[in-house]
Amino acid sequence: MSKLCSGVVACVLVGGCYSGLAGDGSGGSDGGGDSASTGDGEDTGIGACEGDDGSLVDRATLRRLTRFEYNNTVRDLLGDDTLPGNAFPSEEIGNGFGNDADAQPVSSLLVEQYGAVAESVAIRATETPERLAALAPCTATVTDATEVECVRTLLADLAPRAYRRPLQDDELDELVALQQTLRADATFAVSIAGVLEMILQSVDFLYRVEHGRLDGDGRVRPTDHEMATRLSYFLWGTMPDDELRAAADAGALSSASDVRAHAERMLDDPRARPMVRFFFDNLLPISGLAALERDDVRYPKYSGAIGALMREETQRFLEHAIFDGTGTWPDALTAEYTFMNAALAEYYGVDGVVGEEFQQVALDTTQRLGVLTHAGVVAGTIHSNETNPVVRGSFLVQKIMCNAIPLPSGDVLAEIKPPDPDSGATARERFSRHSEDPACTPCHMAMDPVGLALENYDAVGLWRDTENGVTIDASGSVPGTEGTIDGPVELVRKIAAAPETHACFAQHWANFAYGRTHDSADACVQTAVETAFTESGYDVRALLLALTQTDAFLGMPAGEP
Amino acid sequence: MIKRPTLSRRTVLRGAGGIAIALPWLEIMGGGKRASAADPSKRFVTVYTPGGTVIDNGAGENRWRPTGTETEFTLSPILAPLEAIRHKLLVVDGMSMTSAQGEQHQAGIIAWLTGTTQQPNYGYAQGPSIDQVIATLLATDTPQKSLQMAVRWGTGKSHGLLHPINAVNFEDNATFDPIPPRLDPQAIFTSLFGALDPDNNADLAARIARKKSILDFVDRKYDGLAQQLGARDKQKLDEHLTKIRELEGALDQMIIPTDVCVLPEHVDTSDYNPTTGLDSADDGSILNTETDQAIPKVGKFMMDMLVMALACDVTHVASLQWSDTEAKHTFPWLGLDQHHHYYQHDGNFRPAECEQIYTWYAEQHAYLLQQMDLVELGDHTLLDESVVFFGSELAQPPVHSKSDMPFLLAGGGGGLRGGRFLRNAGLADPSHNNLLVAILNLFGDERTTFGDPAYCTGPLSGLT
Repeated sequence: MSKLCSGVVACVLVGGCYSGLAGDGSGGSDGGGDSASTGDGEDTGIGACEGDDGSLVDRATLRRLTRFEYNNTVRDLLGDDTLPGNAFPSEEIGNGFGNDADAQPVSSLLVEQYGAVAESVAIRATETPERLAALAPCTATVTDATEVECVRTLLADLAPRAYRRPLQDDELDELVALQQTLRADATFAVSIAGVLEMILQSVDFLYRVEHGRLDGDGRVRPTDHEMATRLSYFLWGTMPDDELRAAADAGALSSASDVRAHAERMLDDPRARPMVRFFFDNLLPISGLAALERDDVRYPKYSGAIGALMREETQRFLEHAIFDGTGTWPDALTAEYTFMNAALAEYYGVDGVVGEEFQQVALDTTQRLGVLTHAGVVAGTIHSNETNPVVRGSFLVQKIMCNAIPLPSGDVLAEIKPPDPDSGATARERFSRHSEDPACTPCHMAMDPVGLALENYDAVGLWRDTENGVTIDASGSVPGTEGTIDGPVELVRKIAAAPETHACFAQHWANFAYGRTHDSADACVQTAVETAFTESGYDVRALLLALTQTDAFLGMPAGEP
Repeated sequence: MIKRPTLSRRTVLRGAGGIAIALPWLEIMGGGKRASAADPSKRFVTVYTPGGTVIDNGAGENRWRPTGTETEFTLSPILAPLEAIRHKLLVVDGMSMTSAQGEQHQAGIIAWLTGTTQQPNYGYAQGPSIDQVIATLLATDTPQKSLQMAVRWGTGKSHGLLHPINAVNFEDNATFDPIPPRLDPQAIFTSLFGALDPDNNADLAARIARKKSILDFVDRKYDGLAQQLGARDKQKLDEHLTKIRELEGALDQMIIPTDVCVLPEHVDTSDYNPTTGLDSADDGSILNTETDQAIPKVGKFMMDMLVMALACDVTHVASLQWSDTEAKHTFPWLGLDQHHHYYQHDGNFRPAECEQIYTWYAEQHAYLLQQMDLVELGDHTLLDESVVFFGSELAQPPVHSKSDMPFLLAGGGGGLRGGRFLRNAGLADPSHNNLLVAILNLFGDERTTFGDPAYCTGPLSGLT
């Protein structure tokens, strides 16, 4: 068990230091890899782990594009911005980001949809002379005599970008031959569409295939084009751009410093921002806010439109805090400002905000502080019209601080239901059984006191001083920390000051970056990343750069070809 | 690549140039042979309903179990709607899902067709579901190996996503992946019957030739790469390749309209949101009354498509799920404006309302069986060469009991004999894994155990 969970919570913690939702499955590995960092050389990045290059052989390493990545990739490859990948069945929750290489099963439905979506994308990309010309200008003047040459030109440009590597041997000939076969029964445009349809279902497009190469020290590393792909999907969620491809062609992505230089460039580019949004859409309970429904008699100010604005508030704030502000996670957790437009400000009861544009607004720091007190974050954890201190506390303790709390046994779990709304005036009364029944207490004392400190926020995230006429007691505590707290502002200060909060944040980013679910075998790499994060003063950009400098990112499993 | 060794009757019929000729294929291929008791069953259908039944209505009455003897019996109030098809119905009473170990609802739905316990930490199944094993046995020349459909699925805590509380079918592969059911009736219609739709038919032969060229190319690349990878990655690509080959196979097996294979009536379901589960609340407090109101219509449409998918040989194995174990939707057409789980136990056990719901499910099941029995295949019907398994994840809702499961079999496949009531069928050993292996035996699979062997002592006798 790593230091992340040593004796923090009174309740028995489950192994592996990480617990997602019930049913995540466990990609547990008992592989080795706890050996100490040895730092073998100046330009080998951080966290070199002897006998363990950070990727385990018994894990699947082949990553399939997620819906987010597929959408971005067809946009950048073919200019198709219709988000066609949303037609695919949703990913397994896995590591929380849907990109866990060990949790990407293939269903008949998925493969059928790959085919159907590929066909529609391919038709859109070829249906007008203008679209065809965008693929290759020669299509505008193509004749029977020049057709094969034009197809060759088109595919010599398109296929390496789609496959994210140079074509090998006779691959181009094969692709041209496929076009010629299809041409027998079809127009020129339809035959090109057919080749595109094939490419979009191909293993080289849908999967991030890595063959690797041996470096001078006898270690297996990704090729430069494979490294370009690792960088671009991690930092931009899409295929490599021309600069990355040029660097790979020139053999200039081999060293840790090469990789770092590109990572810095990429983080400065606006294309990094949608990736960060995607990360927080999955880390925080905000992606479904536009569809969040509430009783409109009890919550007349709330609507799905307000939910969408709440999500935008949190995303706009985080984007600013990370890219334009101080850039540290503790500052994001305790920021005294947020972003609102007029409609959202009116919802919050904040004066002086005009217009549809989001703008920076100072918070009333007696009531709110930092991202965890945003209306969307406290409302999004709740799946009903009543607040629930257990799910709010569980979110903060398990997802934000990575302190795993086991689910109750099957018999108890099946009986769990929210308390009767009439069983007490306040949530503290309604959930009082948790602090009284010895069967509940050990675990619930690790969650409820955290969630109860948020009771001043109602089920739609608005401030309240009373519930059913009774003044809310928002006192509580944070397990593993000293003392007690009163209210949400003290709560988030406590959370922001706890080292495990930041280790947890780094762990989520590592899971996202490496497409895996953290387990004890990752301890060495994880420690290296956490150390770099801590030394940077918890700077998020520094964390993202550090994630490109580990052996997990720079290397490949030994023993794999 | 794999080339199927057997000569598909459709390959024969398509002949040179790929033009389908509607010949009486049963005669050509010798398929007109009279189905006899010794013939393995040819088709398998599973129907899942949530929340068990009413084993005890609080007044000591079992509202599900028939009364009487094996052949002279009276159907119970809940099963009464099946009266018209009782001669092809086998009521299997007294089985226990002893392999359902784990969370109460999740372990039940997982064990129902797999006979395995739930993976630790609230995971999925630890073995394949019998429908997938049977699909492997039967899917020699159908466009789709199997078909999974669900009505008003992904309610409550699963929020519309695949989850151990809503997965019924599990792949017959090394990792037993849960299979997401198809939810959108319009997409299902296109997928199953698009080729029969005259609007799509104009350039069908060219389209098929094109798809074959494309998939053949894709196939070779997956195959080539898989050989170069480590074991886990190879397994991943091999699974993908298997699914690509299913699609390729489907192109060789066009649906041919016949007397019994006709396009189902295309129903407008614009008032039904198939992914409304994505907006669901843990406690069912978020309602979509318009979608709930459309459930009977959508359910009937899906059953019609299921029957025709079998009659047209699109597939030989089909699964229909009525919701999931959360069942947090309402029944406005029954005058029930709370969700099913509320009547099961969230709002205390309400046996009268539960009985209304289960009786309605029995009506739907009767419709499905009767439709299958209307499809004439020479001297017998589609139902006669099929086995239909109807079940749930538990028996008595408020206590989540797994004994006295409300299981029904129907059809005549593999010599299954209907018109009977097997009271206490599990008297010697109630473990339902014994029933699962007995069902497998109806398909010519001669194994003697299925699922977790700790809960299986051998095939249940008495089905034939």
